[in-house]
Amino acid sequence: MADQKNLPSGLRDYSLAGKAALIVGAEHPVGRVAALTLAEAGANVMLASQDVGADESLKQAARAAQALGVKAAARTQRASIRADLAATADGAVTALGGLDILVTALDAPLYAPVETIDDSAYDRVMDENFKAVWMALQEIGRVMLQRGGGSIVAITNVMAERGVPNASLYCAAKGAVRNLVRALALEWARRKVRINLLECGWTEEPGSPALEAGEFSERLIKYLPYRRLLKPEEISGALLYLVSPASSFVTGEAIAVDGGLLCRV
Amino acid sequence: MILDRFKLDGKVAIITGGGRGLGRAMAVRFANCGADIVAAARTLDQLNETRALVEAAGRRCLVVPTDVGRSDDVNAMVAAAVKEFGRVDVMVNNAGIGEDSFGKPIDQITDNEWRRGIDVNLSSQFFCARAVIPHMLRAGRGKIINVASGYGLRGGKHNYMYACSKGAVLQLTRSLALTYADNHIQTNCIVPGIFPHNEAMMKFFKGGKFIPIGRPGNDEDVGPLAVFLASDASDHINGELIIIDGGGLAGGVVPTGVAPGNPA
Repeated sequence: MADQKNLPSGLRDYSLAGKAALIVGAEHPVGRVAALTLAEAGANVMLASQDVGADESLKQAARAAQALGVKAAARTQRASIRADLAATADGAVTALGGLDILVTALDAPLYAPVETIDDSAYDRVMDENFKAVWMALQEIGRVMLQRGGGSIVAITNVMAERGVPNASLYCAAKGAVRNLVRALALEWARRKVRINLLECGWTEEPGSPALEAGEFSERLIKYLPYRRLLKPEEISGALLYLVSPASSFVTGEAIAVDGGLLCRV
Repeated sequence: MILDRFKLDGKVAIITGGGRGLGRAMAVRFANCGADIVAAARTLDQLNETRALVEAAGRRCLVVPTDVGRSDDVNAMVAAAVKEFGRVDVMVNNAGIGEDSFGKPIDQITDNEWRRGIDVNLSSQFFCARAVIPHMLRAGRGKIINVASGYGLRGGKHNYMYACSKGAVLQLTRSLALTYADNHIQTNCIVPGIFPHNEAMMKFFKGGKFIPIGRPGNDEDVGPLAVFLASDASDHINGELIIIDGGGLAGGVVPTGVAPGNPA
């Protein structure tokens, strides 16, 4: 880990030195940024993914974290999602010596008119955007509660707060995560597990409709207060604030990293 | 390194209400992160105590006795800050009052109590933003941090001036944020929950036992949030309200401490 001995006293609350962090959905760009941000702040990290095809990229990210001087491990799904999440939580405790921080970076957009969304698409969108987060919070939250506390950040996006045409189901799933976090924040408040959300604005990431040439992306960019997309690495400050002891009186809250988009009418 | 992006080295921050409470705690925390401070408030003695704490942290502190509800006072204070330091990087609009009309039945609240509260809690934030933005535009960047309250999002019995002024602060935040997004001036809002500053407040809020996390806020809890919003680490956050309340505003439809579905 980078030398933190000379850290100004005012910055110590943001340090994660010696903490153990699990990142679920680490194959996504923001998940990778999350893992490397926490490692840079001193946490030992486990990068996990339900995507077996992500094995090599996770290992590469884990090596990048190790180069920052922390312990880092990678793990892709080996069992059904629930069993795998439970095993991942236990695996993190074994590999890292604890489990203080969980970041979920799960995301599976669907942009289509509502009348075209069939039941299998429904299951996929709800499973990957909501149910996987639900199970991660149950299974990994359980371990944190048993261990006496922790800090959780679910990374979602501004769809959790607003409607978007052709994103009905995706908005519903993101909104469900938003309110799940409120309820769990209250349920776990006295058991020393804090849980908050980080909501990304329109982000530069593969597959985003904001990156496809055409009227949608052209008009969207002009509409954004900063007139540009969010770069994944720009979430790191908000993430570090929310996972660290710096935010010990904050729970059930969401921080949007969107340049002011949610202020717009 | 990511932690370096929270540093405030070389920055100058004006903090209104800087003589006590949250304002003093933010001043000291800012100084501990490398910022020089301009502390503005009505009471010189309290400002001098803040100055001593900032100087003990190794930073400079200019104290400017100011009635933030008066725009001529605010303009003179910002001019003094610029004269002393040559710049204003961060404007923290923290000053506020609640006590005068708080809890009074509506027919006993005077015009003056209403207007004075709106001046100090709301107009002050507009006056300060208006005074610092030309300097921030010249510098090509800046951070404005408004302090509202959970009462800006929810109502309270016999709570008119305070709830209205703090609710308006949220709107001031959003419009400043959108207007100056192109100029690299971020405006955000801290929304504190229950932060008792004295025994009477602690008693009024029943020791904070209805706060989900199980305790009221300490002034020091706000420091790391304010530093984050003042620092380069928050450059893509704009127009955002950040609630720091131990979970209170996540709920509100059942009393704290009971839950449906729990065994009796």
